Amino acid sequence: MIKQLHIPLGSQHAALLEPLRLDFSTENERIVSVRSDMGYVHRGVEHACMNRFDFKKVPFVVARVCGLCAITHSTAAVLATEQIVECMVSERAQWLRMLALEFDRIHSHMLCLAHVAESSGYEALFMHTMMERERVMEAQEILSGNRVQFDYATLGGVTRDMDSQCAQALLAKVGALKSVLSGLRDRFEANWSTQMRFKGVGAITLEEAYRLGTVGPIARAAGVRTDIRIESSHLPYRALGFEPIVALEGDLYARNRLRLEEIAQSIELIERILEGLPEGAHLSKVRGRPKGEAMARIEAPRGELFYYVRGNGGAIFERLRIRTPTYANLKAFEAIFLGQEYSSIPAILASLDPCMSCTAK
Amino acid sequence: MRLERFRKKSPWILHYNAGSCNGCDIEILACLAPRYDVERLGILNRGNPKQADILLVTGPVTHRSRDRLVELYTQMAEPKVVVAVGSCTCSGGIFRHMYHVGDGVDQFIPVDSYVAGCAARPEQIIEGVARALEILEHKSHEIERPFQLRGPLYCSGEQTIRRQMAAKVSDETN
Repeated sequence: MIKQLHIPLGSQHAALLEPLRLDFSTENERIVSVRSDMGYVHRGVEHACMNRFDFKKVPFVVARVCGLCAITHSTAAVLATEQIVECMVSERAQWLRMLALEFDRIHSHMLCLAHVAESSGYEALFMHTMMERERVMEAQEILSGNRVQFDYATLGGVTRDMDSQCAQALLAKVGALKSVLSGLRDRFEANWSTQMRFKGVGAITLEEAYRLGTVGPIARAAGVRTDIRIESSHLPYRALGFEPIVALEGDLYARNRLRLEEIAQSIELIERILEGLPEGAHLSKVRGRPKGEAMARIEAPRGELFYYVRGNGGAIFERLRIRTPTYANLKAFEAIFLGQEYSSIPAILASLDPCMSCTAK
Repeated sequence: MRLERFRKKSPWILHYNAGSCNGCDIEILACLAPRYDVERLGILNRGNPKQADILLVTGPVTHRSRDRLVELYTQMAEPKVVVAVGSCTCSGGIFRHMYHVGDGVDQFIPVDSYVAGCAARPEQIIEGVARALEILEHKSHEIERPFQLRGPLYCSGEQTIRRQMAAKVSDETN
């Protein structure tokens, strides 16, 4: 006998950080269909950027689209705007921007891993991951002066320069994180219990991932070799010898492993940036007003972040368009959920790392 | 044994994101984690309004989340306190006057403790919650009402509709 059940999840739920509503239809506790509704946090940031704030304030406004990847939003807005105003950005500023982006990636990935652990019932692992994550938050505070919304990237460069003392402190922080990372990997990958829980759950095939246009860690965990850090030349990632990491299985276990490997890679990148940081001014003057159109792509922790700006010579943008990674991944969410057990839904949802405030803007 | 004596020792929180950027939400999560560890004060995060004493709200209250916020607030049992976390929650902040937000949570429900900052730091959040706990001690069981959006629910077919969505409570009671 088939028992059918309709289970609504959200908009307020203990497993959800943000308001999001998912309506599941299940047959014998397997998901047969899912409907999603994610507009709860729509604030109208794009509209405000086109009507109320002038272009110099826009990077700080769009940072408030999402607190997790605030720096990627402001960096992408800055990179797009700098193409249509008169401005010379120094090499040092670009490297410092990369530094902030990599710190952001580490803290976002660690939060995602902690959330996966919590949602699948490993409370101690959640606490452990969150404890280690504090090192990154402190490093961000040393670098920029704030833990979360640090508004580091600005038109013409970055808001704060870095001295050697600061670089030493950052190196110490990432060094400490590096030494505890292997323990964390042991718990996520080599542990018998977590392997049983994560392997084969919430899988997406390479073909499907490609066809549905997934981006970021979900696509890379399924074997799609996509990473904007090498695909675009806005930021000098090639000078660092960056190579994207790809896994094959596409399941929850592979996504966890990929995130852990990316954390290790980001630590390496940070060390290389601090080693080879070029000299120069961290901030330069911006002249003129935006005229023409430009776009920028950047690799946010969740995947490709796209910004389009158009100015007509006035102080306020004529159009600003934000395309966020979670928006690109929405179709894949549905494909991943179908056929899964209802009990693993919170864990799968956490591992997909959805960002509703990014999507709804 | 008086319940009031012990309520202060195990206040459970309910967290609702009413359109925030996640910045304050991850700081609330950091408060629950070992570095700041609010569990030593007996504070646990349970996503259940019926069991919660403290409502932690983040975000400027978007139009779509406002009736859910009020719903959660009315479901909480008295005595209860509300802590507004973050600048945009207190006054609308950077989102003030955007077309889809109400300017701050105190337009909708009474707030006991305000925590400013974008994003609010964990130390600030803990201080705000501690201040709210002092207020909680002196609160009675008198029913507290939200300021707005308290129309009665009625069912039509399969849909649940709230009448007088924007009606003020004072209008309703008169």
